[in-house]
Amino acid sequence: MPAFFRRRFRWKNGQVVVELPDDEQDMLRHVLPQLRELVMGETDPALRRLSPPARPDDADAEAFYRQMITDELLASRLKAIEVVEEGIGGTVLDDAGVDSWMHSLNALRLVLGERLDVDVIGHDLLHDLDPDDDRVPIVALYEWLGWLLEQLVDAAMNSFDH
Amino acid sequence: MTAPLTTPTIDTEEHVAFDHPWKVIVWDDPINLMSYVAFVFRKVFGYSKDQAEQLMMQVHVEGRAVVSSGTREKAELDVFRLHEHGLWATLEQDQ
Repeated sequence: MPAFFRRRFRWKNGQVVVELPDDEQDMLRHVLPQLRELVMGETDPALRRLSPPARPDDADAEAFYRQMITDELLASRLKAIEVVEEGIGGTVLDDAGVDSWMHSLNALRLVLGERLDVDVIGHDLLHDLDPDDDRVPIVALYEWLGWLLEQLVDAAMNSFDH
Repeated sequence: MTAPLTTPTIDTEEHVAFDHPWKVIVWDDPINLMSYVAFVFRKVFGYSKDQAEQLMMQVHVEGRAVVSSGTREKAELDVFRLHEHGLWATLEQDQ
């Protein structure tokens, strides 16, 4: 069966098998470097979604928490992106690998969701956009990432029974 | 001459902190997938399928849910792990 018709993530022998069609591999290779650049910066508004405040009630405590975790969170995100990039062509994931793929796919969704103002307009309006609207391709990308993540959750769920 | 009377001061802060553990709260957001949120609760906290789905529904319906509690250090670590997964989590001290 051609890769296009297969599940992208399958549970097999206690691990998650990743198998993406070529065009989907290319898309991930295209967007992951952009995610890396974004998380390494400090100004993109989507960073608020990736690292929301932990202590919104207390500015001092929030500053302290930030100082404590910022480097570690960045290192974790960069590592997760690297793991995905290494496995795009096809790989098998253990628990840590599943985490890396989930973190990266979901981070991409959060960034696109922020770009699309999903927090404000909700999902329903996204599907009513005019076909010529500039946001239509971004919606397609966002939906595709959600579909991938659902499949990964579905496959990785088997690990709880083993 | 008599010694001035002093009243012993007891620093109660430690005890208060001990009696009132920290809570980790996850907030509803329209981007994270429901299946993903339930999965993260199982993975990070070891909840059963039913517990995780119940908490996820509480977040979805009520807008927030307390997902764990304990010392401040534990709560901070939990929040960190939830942020790694892209969930919208905060910590606060139980009043």
